[in-house]
Amino acid sequence: MKLLRTLLVWIAGSALLLAMAADTLAMIGRQVHVPLLGAIELVQAAVLVAASGALLMAALEGSHARVHLLIDRLPPRTRVVLERVQAMAGAVLYAALLAGSGWIAAELWSGHEESELLRIPYRPLRVIAVVALALLLLHALRRSFTRASR
Amino acid sequence: MTGSTLGMMGVVVLLALLLAGMPIGVSLGLVGLGGLALTLGLEPALIKSGVLLFETMTRYELGTLPLFMLMAHLCFAADASRDFFDVAARFIGHRRGGLAIASVAGCAGFGSINGSSLATTATIGLVALPEMRRRGYSDALATGSVAAGGTLGQMIPPSGALIVFGIVAEQSIGTLFTAAIVPGLTQTLSYFIVIALLVWWRPGMAPRMPRASWAERRAALRRVLDVGLLVIVVTGGIVIGWVTPSEAAAVGASGALLVCLFRRKLSLASLRRALEDTLKTSGLIYLVIIGALIFAAFISVTGLTDAIGSTIAGLGLGPVGTMLVVAVFLLLVGSVLDGLALMLLTTPILLPLVTGLGLSPIWFGIFLVRAMEIGFVHPPIGMNLYVIQGVAPDVPLSRVFKGVLPFLAADLLHLTLLVLFPVIALGLPRWLSQ
Repeated sequence: MKLLRTLLVWIAGSALLLAMAADTLAMIGRQVHVPLLGAIELVQAAVLVAASGALLMAALEGSHARVHLLIDRLPPRTRVVLERVQAMAGAVLYAALLAGSGWIAAELWSGHEESELLRIPYRPLRVIAVVALALLLLHALRRSFTRASR
Repeated sequence: MTGSTLGMMGVVVLLALLLAGMPIGVSLGLVGLGGLALTLGLEPALIKSGVLLFETMTRYELGTLPLFMLMAHLCFAADASRDFFDVAARFIGHRRGGLAIASVAGCAGFGSINGSSLATTATIGLVALPEMRRRGYSDALATGSVAAGGTLGQMIPPSGALIVFGIVAEQSIGTLFTAAIVPGLTQTLSYFIVIALLVWWRPGMAPRMPRASWAERRAALRRVLDVGLLVIVVTGGIVIGWVTPSEAAAVGASGALLVCLFRRKLSLASLRRALEDTLKTSGLIYLVIIGALIFAAFISVTGLTDAIGSTIAGLGLGPVGTMLVVAVFLLLVGSVLDGLALMLLTTPILLPLVTGLGLSPIWFGIFLVRAMEIGFVHPPIGMNLYVIQGVAPDVPLSRVFKGVLPFLAADLLHLTLLVLFPVIALGLPRWLSQ
């Protein structure tokens, strides 16, 4: 798990740094009249990789935004049960998103989608999103069937 | 069952799930998906969600959020977080209540590199609270000024809440940032006035302290120069239209990396920590955004907003009356929901209503964030109060709340002024666009 976390930080982090560099260079290029064509497409692809990694990181850390008003006042045992139910609900959402994303990816697979300027293929991007959702689903299922995972 | 009834049921179920502690993103997504499946069928619901997910994850504007977060984390790694407070304390700390004013100014300064209320409260609280208490400031004034000042992190650009609103409501993030400047500054000013009135009424709350020498002031000013310049480039660049918000975020993160390098704070470990913290926080917000967009798609197909709009139009309250009612509603719901949940639950419902009344969606974004900020300092949620208690555990929560009450009164007055005079938010973007 530690290795996965390290890999996630560096892969998604590098994508974020790539987006940062591309947008910064594009801005500088515009000011000095040397436009960096396709920077937006590069940022879009990098953001998808970073977002996929970020979603996984947040799930691994269990750092979900939630309303604590009632849950913090519940007895520990009830809270454990509720957390399992919540993990299962998360699994249902990820499964639905995975089904929807997988469906569209399969439909468009032979379409060879790509970006306009840099011709970045969308296939790998869709695969990354689908893999991230599958991992999120597995993690949510694992949390709902194992004891006190957070 | 009519669409609007189904929409209302969806809102009730969502509220119940949120109160049960279900993650906000999961609650929004599940209710949205379930609702879409009931209204359109399972297959269109799955496909719509899949399309929304990919569109959201490849949105150019989505890069704005993690890059601004990275900028904040790198500034934090560069030890720049306390500099804003330090410089304000050197210049005005010797005046009665000066350190409390410096705390608010420090929050505003830190808010300009960081878009979170909680992070601003925690960071400035760690620096300012011990200093004020050591100098004999009353606990109520010390904790109240930092708890209230912390909310400026949410309003002063770059604001995480405004980025999320911009993405969910499909509004220009740059215009939202520009519109937030005057409300952010007037809010800061209102806190200064509250502190001045409090120490005028009870001088014992904030003893005077020795005046800092000009050498000390210059040293503090030098320390804030690099980050100050970065803030001016980033915020000023957006305001004058020199850079887009996404570019500003990228330039801000690159600049913060350079600041770390020049301050000799850049290492593989510090970079990893900054990236890890950025990814963790942005991951949870991404899930919330994806869920919110699915929920918004469900609400839009139910016709719930039209039904609520015609009901409210039938009351004949007019735009100002309606918005005052909306403000009361937001404050009430904000008592049980935290800021992000409040924004994402209400935006799909209230935004069409607001635009239907002829009001600006940009103004509504500022109004909503202002209402969210109030939720950060009033019980039972009042997250900033708990953050303060974490920094100063020996101060009872009741005293922290007592301290924040005068600021809360100023907040309510400021919110009312924002409703009565939308120009507070819209004046600067209009003037700049001429």
